[in-house]
Amino acid sequence: MSLLSRIMGDSPSDTASVAAIPSRALAWLVASFALLLIPQWDRLPIWLLAACGVLAGWRWLAQYGRVRLPGRLLRTAIMLLLISVYVATVSGRFTVDTAASFFVLAVGLKWLETRSSRDFYVLLFIVIYLATVNFLFRQEILWTLVNLAGVACLLVGLQVLNAPDLPANMRSGWKRLGLLLLKTLPIVILLFLFFPRIAPLWSVPLVSGQARTGISDSMRPGDISNLAQSSERAFRVTFGGELPAYRDRYWRGLVLDYLDSETWKQSGFESYRPPGKVDLDGGIGDLGAREYDVLMEPTDQRWAFGLENSRAVSGNVIEQDDDLFRFRRPADTAVRYRLAREEVSQGSPADELSALETRRYLQLPVSGNPRARQLGRSLKEQNDAEGVIRAMLSRFRDQEYFYTLRPPAMAENGIDTLLFDEKKGFCAHYAGATTFVLRAAGIPSRIVAGYQGGEPGAGGEYLIVRQYDAHAWVEAWIEGRGWVRIDPTAAIAPQRIESGLREAVANEGSFLEEDWASPQRYGDVRLIQWASLQLDRMNYQWQRWVVGYQGQSQMDLMSRLPGRFGMKELGYLTAAVVGGGLLLAGLVSAWQMRRGVRYDAFRKTVEGWHMLCVGNGVPVRSGETPSVLAERFAEARPAAADSARRFARMVNSHYYSASPSKTAAADLKRLRRLLATMKKQLRRSQQKNRKTGTRS
Amino acid sequence: MISQLRSRWQQWVHRRIPRSDNQLLNQKNVFILPTGAGVVFGILLMVMLITGINYQNSLIYLITFLLGAVFVGAMHQTHRNLSGLELTLLQPGEGVAGEDIPFRFRATAGPNDAVAVRLSVDDSVLAPIHISAGQATDVVIPVPSAYRGYLRPDRIRIETRFPFGLLKAWSWMRPASAGIAFPRPLAAPDVLSSVPDGSDADNVRSVEGNDHADLRPWREGDMSQRVMWKRYARSGQMVVADWEGEQGSPHWLDFDAFPGTDHEMRLGYLAYLVGEREKRGGRYGLNLPGRAIDPDSGASHAQRCMRALAVWGEEPPRETLPEPHGTRSDQDLTHPMDSQSA
Repeated sequence: MSLLSRIMGDSPSDTASVAAIPSRALAWLVASFALLLIPQWDRLPIWLLAACGVLAGWRWLAQYGRVRLPGRLLRTAIMLLLISVYVATVSGRFTVDTAASFFVLAVGLKWLETRSSRDFYVLLFIVIYLATVNFLFRQEILWTLVNLAGVACLLVGLQVLNAPDLPANMRSGWKRLGLLLLKTLPIVILLFLFFPRIAPLWSVPLVSGQARTGISDSMRPGDISNLAQSSERAFRVTFGGELPAYRDRYWRGLVLDYLDSETWKQSGFESYRPPGKVDLDGGIGDLGAREYDVLMEPTDQRWAFGLENSRAVSGNVIEQDDDLFRFRRPADTAVRYRLAREEVSQGSPADELSALETRRYLQLPVSGNPRARQLGRSLKEQNDAEGVIRAMLSRFRDQEYFYTLRPPAMAENGIDTLLFDEKKGFCAHYAGATTFVLRAAGIPSRIVAGYQGGEPGAGGEYLIVRQYDAHAWVEAWIEGRGWVRIDPTAAIAPQRIESGLREAVANEGSFLEEDWASPQRYGDVRLIQWASLQLDRMNYQWQRWVVGYQGQSQMDLMSRLPGRFGMKELGYLTAAVVGGGLLLAGLVSAWQMRRGVRYDAFRKTVEGWHMLCVGNGVPVRSGETPSVLAERFAEARPAAADSARRFARMVNSHYYSASPSKTAAADLKRLRRLLATMKKQLRRSQQKNRKTGTRS
Repeated sequence: MISQLRSRWQQWVHRRIPRSDNQLLNQKNVFILPTGAGVVFGILLMVMLITGINYQNSLIYLITFLLGAVFVGAMHQTHRNLSGLELTLLQPGEGVAGEDIPFRFRATAGPNDAVAVRLSVDDSVLAPIHISAGQATDVVIPVPSAYRGYLRPDRIRIETRFPFGLLKAWSWMRPASAGIAFPRPLAAPDVLSSVPDGSDADNVRSVEGNDHADLRPWREGDMSQRVMWKRYARSGQMVVADWEGEQGSPHWLDFDAFPGTDHEMRLGYLAYLVGEREKRGGRYGLNLPGRAIDPDSGASHAQRCMRALAVWGEEPPRETLPEPHGTRSDQDLTHPMDSQSA
């Protein structure tokens, strides 16, 4: 009876809407918030993370009465303070990052206001959207799991909020949620497959203000060696045919042809193109023998990387001059595109360079690096163009040049210092110096920035190109042959080109020396390497089949199904899936309901009695008590009067007794017996009636 | 317009859920709609879908569909929470008008757990109850009352929002039996020792002797003391003498003892006096127009008197005429002679 007293003791008013939040529900909410902040950790300013921690902690302590939630004045003050810090750090830039951090700030501030279950719902909705925003930035399988776990925590917390005092045997919030998800999973999968992937309603570039690791459009001598400290993935490539040899894996991205004192830049502006829709997945259908798919990580740039002599196959990249590829929109999420290698047309006379182009590829700063200029001039006097190049390469090969990730500082006339004094540098140094000398020798030349190399992923199905594979090399124009690739690094450190950076700097021990957490650093530990590659393979398949499942891949899948599926048919199909799912759910619940009625044997027996009554001309009135019905029955059929009355008494005592469950089984047995007796009595009386009828 | 719609809806619900002391919840009578939070959740899903479309992000599609499926699954779950639940009115309550009168119910869960089920009448909401599948629990619902008389809650609302609070499933139970609200006791003026002289002083007869008696045939409800047994022995006819002098008897709590006051006030006085008498432990009888209760003592007697006071002039509620509970319908109180005198 404690339940009764509790119910009676409660003031019946306003417990429904403004109940305080139960601690366990709050705990789930805090846990979910913490989980969902993890994917954002490197995008959010430290002070914001700290503020969120403090505010959520404050709310948590307040739950236990350790501290009080701030009053309106203090709350406003905190709000103003944090918002002004935010405004100061953002300082007018509006990017997706600042928007995301404002979002997080809003959640943080809301903690101080979370008093009622209404506030809980407000926070819940914001946090769910936070999970959505997280998906914009990170789509790897592990991050997906973190996000989904965060949302699951929310849903468990909601169950606690809606039934805080649930007895322990009925709790099982995870189980309930799991079953629910399991039941609806088929519909989710069908929806995911068939929901028409329509084009963006409006184009919102997701350009983040944060610098991404990767190649940039200007190169100072030290730049690429910084990149070499990162083992982040740049892109992954699947080849339709044979893998090209390691030394041929030159991934061209940019051409840098303008030297501004120390810095190499692109001379022309990229021709303006209106931003258009980017198909995020261009790798559709089977790969041809010469084709390859590149799955590029987001760079926020429009450059696509490709092997030499390639042409675009998928529509999401466009070919540009200089054998380069560009997207129609900065790649703010992972993009897959398809290229094909072409037969190198031997002997076909290459086009002439125009006068403008010749001037462009011979540009040098007005002054500086006199010794390098002198070297160029003297080489030109002795050789033709190819001879100059050969001489340059043999100089690198024969003299004591070193390939190092720890080049010394070369401030004034850096190219002179590198070539004649220090003789220690990284690929960017040597590429810059070579181009300088070639231009001084009157050979049109340019720097190409991109990647070189790539190691096979687990199973050898694809190549992984990482940031430390970033590379810079030289292309020179030779009359009759066109642009020719020259790689000074290959002359100085052949291992770099044959097997990668790790081998090239093995003696130095400087490979990934600043990135101690990278699994690639421990390449000699088999287990780590294996695990890292397996994880990468999982992510690759995930990216390919789930994340990359977009308009084109959907159409491709649909075209394999019988029947011709267009966007419209997909819409109908989606509607059919949703409608069918709902119908199925309704049918299942109706069926369960029927079973539920059958389940209650007691009610079934009583219904049997009701049917007996109706069959004997005694209609059952709704709301009538069993004894009244029994009286009317007794009047109509005196033969069964006694048993009917006893039956009614039993029903009464079952429904109205203090402990219904104890004697239920025995009651049920007796009720059934009574019902049978009644039927027997009725039959007998009818027989008697018939007999008397025949006799008279 | 809206009120018209509302009354149409009410009629529909009433047809769907007839009055009964026993209600089994099933597809026919359980309603389900999204809550305010559920509507916002739906809007959020739309926003998420648009985000997914605009950024061509498959994983946002995925989480949107997942949460949409959770919503649909929750619909199922919330409905199942109620369906199969059986609510039986065990005992309609009795109490003083103006207070909450406890009605006892038994809730029996069907094949599913009934989790976080709230029972409510008007504004009074109980703490949620949880019943495991096939188990039963007794619940007392305080039904607010305003006036004396039969008290029958029009509708008892059975609601659940479990598991996520995004949807609410509800049904009503419309009990057939009525509780009783006693008149609220009013401290009575001291009238028992003397006959008050009020406006209708003309009607007041002499109290000296028993000479002023109306003789009439016995009818049900007359007290045995009033029967003229001598005459019965002589003639076999039961004749009752209405002695005017009895009216002031302290043993009798009399409706007519407060001339000039409102009927309801008189009932209040009488309720007060019943309480007083009960406390003092004397024998007393109650005389109401059309209904009299012989002098007796004890708790059950007091309860009988109080019930008689409560329902005096009231019709027991019938199924066909649903009336707002706690209020008395506009019955003609100037003709309080009801079925009992007919």
